[in-house]
Amino acid sequence: MISSDVIRGYNDTLILYMLLEGESYGYEISKNIRQLTDEKYVMKETTLYSAFTRLEKNGYIESFYQDESLGKRRTYYRITPAGLDYYREKCEEWKVTQEVVNLFIREL
Amino acid sequence: MVYLDNMFAGLPRSPEVERMKQELLSGMEDKYLELKQEGRSENEAVGIVISEFGNIEELMEELGIQTEDATETYPVLTEEEVQAYLAAKRSAGFWTGLGVWLSSAGIAFLILMDTLFESMGTSSDQGTFGIGSVLGMSGMFVLVAVAVGMFIYSGMKLGRFEYMEKGFQLPRSLLMILQRSKASFALTYRVALITGVCLCILSPVFIFAGAYVNDTYAAYGVSALLAAAGIGVFLFVYYGNIQGSYTTLLEDQHLNAAKREEARAVRAVEAVVWPLATAFFLFTGFVYQRWDINWAIFPIVGILSGSFSNVYHIMKNKKSS
Repeated sequence: MISSDVIRGYNDTLILYMLLEGESYGYEISKNIRQLTDEKYVMKETTLYSAFTRLEKNGYIESFYQDESLGKRRTYYRITPAGLDYYREKCEEWKVTQEVVNLFIREL
Repeated sequence: MVYLDNMFAGLPRSPEVERMKQELLSGMEDKYLELKQEGRSENEAVGIVISEFGNIEELMEELGIQTEDATETYPVLTEEEVQAYLAAKRSAGFWTGLGVWLSSAGIAFLILMDTLFESMGTSSDQGTFGIGSVLGMSGMFVLVAVAVGMFIYSGMKLGRFEYMEKGFQLPRSLLMILQRSKASFALTYRVALITGVCLCILSPVFIFAGAYVNDTYAAYGVSALLAAAGIGVFLFVYYGNIQGSYTTLLEDQHLNAAKREEARAVRAVEAVVWPLATAFFLFTGFVYQRWDINWAIFPIVGILSGSFSNVYHIMKNKKSS
């Protein structure tokens, strides 16, 4: 399992990626991240929800309520155009980061 | 979930926080239900949910809430600082007490000289002031001046610790040490208080004893009363200061604003009343030559200002409760 320190700068990117496919809610997103990473990365609850707050504040996602079948009301999130731009930016940034870090990685 | 309530207990109850809490709760419930569906036991499911909760600081940071801002801002005192404070309080108590005693000794000296020279036949009726009055007066002023110097000195010593009035924190280990030394000081304090009270109560005996002989001796008695009561007051001030330093450190740590305001109000009143009393004393002395009785203003004002501070305290408490 990856430590949360390493991935910190990319939590937002992970969440935005999950929202590319369509709107979703907290637990579904965290579950999908877990499954996608084959349980190598489990996002903590507080990390997830503070990321939502941050992303929404920056206008990268927007939230809305939707009633579920069992009478439970959920907060759904969807990505905004600004969020999409931000996501692309982060992807570029990661590519560079990866290149840079890779320069210092070798098998021993 | 009780767990979540506990985690959020330290946070202010803003709508934003409430919403965040609901979100978290709903997410955790989802996770919990799914874990149960996977066939996990109740304990296991709760354990997993809690272990994947994360830390509340992360949320607070995001919501712009300063962590523990209520307590964090208070400086934590080190052992050296505490010892320095105790020492300063003790020496300030000593000098203030001595100053008070000198002031009362000064008045006693004035009465003594006045009476002494009067009884020796150098009547003060010849001039406005007899030689005794002049001698006594200058002696008194010298003593009072020295006393004022002492007050200022002890005030300066404590000035360094003014920041403590705003509140502070003590490490646990230090708290224990202080509690122990306070306990060991308790007996000394009680003995000093009782001695002081006895001195004050018994000091009028000098007057009665003097009056029994004749009027002149009654005046000497007044001098002796002032000197003795002064020693009593010295004991109050000195040991009271030491006791007060423990109280400040141990109990007033989180002294609320109202209480501090109360202390300020009492101080303000005293700052007005005492100079007034002194002016009255000097005026009645010089103009009406009533040195024999006008000293009584000081104990009267002392008692009045003491009861004012108590009444004020009670009124305040009533209002706040």
